[in-house]
Amino acid sequence: MTRSRSAGAEAEAAGVEPPLLLSGVDRTYERGGETVHALQDVNLAVDAGEFVAVVGPSGSGKSTMLNTLGLLDTPTAGDVLLDGREVSDADDARRTRLRKEYIGFVFQDFYLIPTLTATENVLLPTVYDADAKARPRAEDLLGRVGLGDRLTHRPTELSGGQKQRVAIARSLINEPEVLLADEPTGNLDTDTGRQVLGEFERVCDGDVAVVAVTHDELVTEYADRTVELVDGHLEVR
Amino acid sequence: MTRLTELPAVLMAVRNLRRNRLRSVLAALGIVIGVLAIATLGIFGNVLQLAALNQLGGIGDQVIVSPNQDAGADSLTARDVAEIERIAEGRGTAVPLYSEGAAVSGTGGESGFANIYGTNTPAALFTAESGEVPERHRQGALVGTDLASEVDVRVGSLVEIGGNTYRVIAILAAGEDISPVQPGTAVVLPESEFAAGGYDQVVVQADSGEDARDVADEIRDRLNSREDRVSVLELSSILDQINEFLGLLNQFLLGLGAVSLIVAGVAIFNVMLMSTTERKGEIGLLRAVGVEKGDILRTLVVEATLLGVIGGVVGVVLSIGAALLLWYVSPIGLNIILDPSNAVYLVVAFAFGVVISLASGIYPAWKAANLEPVEALRD
Repeated sequence: MTRSRSAGAEAEAAGVEPPLLLSGVDRTYERGGETVHALQDVNLAVDAGEFVAVVGPSGSGKSTMLNTLGLLDTPTAGDVLLDGREVSDADDARRTRLRKEYIGFVFQDFYLIPTLTATENVLLPTVYDADAKARPRAEDLLGRVGLGDRLTHRPTELSGGQKQRVAIARSLINEPEVLLADEPTGNLDTDTGRQVLGEFERVCDGDVAVVAVTHDELVTEYADRTVELVDGHLEVR
Repeated sequence: MTRLTELPAVLMAVRNLRRNRLRSVLAALGIVIGVLAIATLGIFGNVLQLAALNQLGGIGDQVIVSPNQDAGADSLTARDVAEIERIAEGRGTAVPLYSEGAAVSGTGGESGFANIYGTNTPAALFTAESGEVPERHRQGALVGTDLASEVDVRVGSLVEIGGNTYRVIAILAAGEDISPVQPGTAVVLPESEFAAGGYDQVVVQADSGEDARDVADEIRDRLNSREDRVSVLELSSILDQINEFLGLLNQFLLGLGAVSLIVAGVAIFNVMLMSTTERKGEIGLLRAVGVEKGDILRTLVVEATLLGVIGGVVGVVLSIGAALLLWYVSPIGLNIILDPSNAVYLVVAFAFGVVISLASGIYPAWKAANLEPVEALRD
């Protein structure tokens, strides 16, 4: 916990705001008349280009933490800072805008739309913008994840690893500063998992902060830093 | 149109509808049937009303004044006729008639029974099919077309009526209108052929149904002020009632159509709800990657509306086909089928179809747009 705090402090000391900072974050919710403390005094700073793995058993609050980082959930107490800006009490419209601007998501189940081609899937976050440059960018991103020859393939024609690489390309279409991954290797075999994690390393090389929550020890091999969530408390490994 | 499809919400909506074509087609089919039902039932009802008015139109324009036999009068006096003529002035033409029934026979020996009318001014009431109806009728007989074929006479032939022989100077058209005076089976002779005495009736050919009603009311007021000397037959009020009934029938038919369209609306509601539930994960993803609520809402409302527009267009085209089919299989004239008032039902049915679809899309769209992305992505 102290180290993760110090990471942010170091960045602040260097005069650079970390792209992502959780400070004293609590998240409680009611379930079946009981109060669940999903996150308790969580402090985490993620620097640009850093790959952080968050591990922990089921129900330890990993998803809640990722959702909080991704502005899909709001903390009960504490602050969420995105690029140095306090965003924990932003309303839905602002959080939506911020997600679009700063955050990319990669999910365990890929969430590709079966009727769309790889390129169209990558373009999905931009469909409501009249952005003529989005398509070449999507094709370029697919090329970068090694799918330059699969642009017009549909998800059913792609392997699991290829699907997840399409999903990574999709998460990068808006040129985010933070990429959040929920069990990115959960549905992949080890070799394919390694390929996908290799993509994350390359993403980090592009100065994007990557946070992956996972059960998979393989992810920690690639991560710059691994933190563990136990019953809502963040511990450094 | 290219502009429209460039709108992201429209583009996405079209794409989403294409994804499950069968379901989209079935949902639109509901609207097709609903629009077809409203438009055809509306048009058919309207055509019925127009056709009936066309047929019955004449009824309402005539006022028939005859002596009230219950009061002992068996003819109208010259004063009565003068009074009626004064009342009718400016609103129609009063034609005093003698009338009686008589056997009519042609030179070939065929005979029939006919109403014989006596008047010197037949032109206001009768039109000729062949020959000419004179302004001042002094001699010869005008014979109704049906009677003429029955007794086999034509213009120039001779007919025998009540022992006298007359030359036929015109054959009278039957007239499409239903009217108390039926020219098709009548013979019209000059007044001089009738024994002197009062007229048997006065027919006022009014300029409109309204005039007929006013004239009838005024005749009743003036001539029957002390005793009921005359009976006045005026059918415009009956015509109004027929009209009212047909209007009611039309509304009833439209109501039936509306029910089917509402059912179609429920089908769209169901389809939209189903397809948004099915796409929950996708909608959650879109929300997570920064697509705004409004865009999701717009897309889904456009989807529902598109179903309505497509269904509506097809429904309108089929309704036009149905109306033309009605013209083809029935004796109703093309002018009635093409009457502009029918177009109103097409427009109303189309608009109603689109509005129902839009309304059915709003709740599912609102529900989907307000999904918490986390919740949507969880399942």
